[in-house]
Amino acid sequence: MTFLQHIKTERARQRKKKPLKRDVFNQICSLVKQYDLKESFLSVLDKVEDGLSGENFKFNRVKLKTPMENSLFSLATKDEYSLTMSIIAKVDNAYLKFATSPEEILLCGPLYRLNPLLTNQKLMRYHFETLLLHERAKANRKR
Amino acid sequence: MRQLLNSDMEILVESDFIYLPLLFDPAIEKEVLTLLRPGRPMENPGHPESKTIITHKDRQFVKALSITSVLENYEVINAYDYKNRRKEFLKKYQLTREVDDILLDDTLKTILFRVMPYFVRKNRGLQRKKLQYEDILDLIGEKIDIPEKYYKEAKTFRHVEHLRAVLKGLENQKPIFKPPANGLLSTHQLRDWFHEAVHAKILAKEHDRLTKALQIRLQFSQAKPEHAATLLYIADTGSMEIDGFGFTRKNGYRGEYFVYKRMGEYVLKDYYARSYLFPACRVAVSTYTPFRPFVMEKYKHPFLLRHKSGQDICMKHFAPPDEFTAENAIRILEEGLTALRYGYDARRRNGYHSLDRTWVHIPTIDFEDYRI
Repeated sequence: MTFLQHIKTERARQRKKKPLKRDVFNQICSLVKQYDLKESFLSVLDKVEDGLSGENFKFNRVKLKTPMENSLFSLATKDEYSLTMSIIAKVDNAYLKFATSPEEILLCGPLYRLNPLLTNQKLMRYHFETLLLHERAKANRKR
Repeated sequence: MRQLLNSDMEILVESDFIYLPLLFDPAIEKEVLTLLRPGRPMENPGHPESKTIITHKDRQFVKALSITSVLENYEVINAYDYKNRRKEFLKKYQLTREVDDILLDDTLKTILFRVMPYFVRKNRGLQRKKLQYEDILDLIGEKIDIPEKYYKEAKTFRHVEHLRAVLKGLENQKPIFKPPANGLLSTHQLRDWFHEAVHAKILAKEHDRLTKALQIRLQFSQAKPEHAATLLYIADTGSMEIDGFGFTRKNGYRGEYFVYKRMGEYVLKDYYARSYLFPACRVAVSTYTPFRPFVMEKYKHPFLLRHKSGQDICMKHFAPPDEFTAENAIRILEEGLTALRYGYDARRRNGYHSLDRTWVHIPTIDFEDYRI
């Protein structure tokens, strides 16, 4: 590639529209602000992790994904920011940015442990509880 | 600013600046860590204003607004609130009449003492001399019947003692506003301080106005009461007409006027030398841009696009001036009058319309009713 071509391709690349990527901080921060979550949510997160790890935990219903309008760029107060970062650090998996309610944040960890290879489309479309039920059923069938 | 003052949070005041609680996202946190890193050189060492972020009791605050700047520009930032506060204040001191402001108006002075003498017949017979201010006021007094109440008002207007007393009263209770002390403040504390400061600012401003008013009234106390009555009449009505020349204050625009000259009936001829009698009208110019001559009445003419009021006169090589001066106003009016009366060329059929029906274009304006 000549130097001129290189400049042209570089400029074309720069001009190209870049889609806004889903950002885990924006998503979780929006949830923290929307549901006014407090520090106590972290202890709930611990408890749910413990509770769900038992095989005898059963779900009775299929839930729908909560529609959510999150801002493109979230700004948080110091408390909200530390809570958001703590949640992100605690859950620490790729599914977290698809959570649209506090409940889904709680189910994020167990779902990831059951199947870490779920597609983005599925995560965007179905509630994590539904996906968890599905994954559990699949695992039981195999057994 | 209004939202800030009505909110419920703690802010920090430091060296005349309002610092708001810092909001975070990962990029900001990174930036803050870099900024607050110990040993990092300051942006402008020695200047307290150089601190963009301040840490106070483990909380970060970011520099947001200059208190002085907000205070200085409050009249523009929140015009509605400022107007209300000013109104309340003026009511308190019985200063709601703005005659003094109008008498200070330079535009009105220009129209009255520099444009009007050009269009008005001043001297009788062969006598020729340049009119002084007093002569012009005398002339107006002769030509216009000024109601009795203005003569009465002029008498009180010349008594400056009451105004002096009000001014002294204002000076005695003039509050000195101090900037708020550095440190944490709740928004309602800031709001209270801010309103006091705005009040002090209005007071200072009105104090200046009153001082000017006092000066004017002192000048008038030397003048004849008839002159003061004439000026009060003009200031109050905002319009006047002598010998076909006049001006009228534009509604809703303070200190803006239409200056006009009446034009009698006149005859124009078309391509076939047929005569058309045009009715009288007023050619005017406004004291604000664009400085172009226009016809005040509902009127039709080859140089006017439609048949309605307030239309600009079409003039090919006319370059409107940039500012309103007596010379410009006279030139614009003269050009407008000349264009209407002498500008139409029957051979060329210039302008938007032709007097005779040409049948070339669809006629929009017809002059058949003016034919004699």
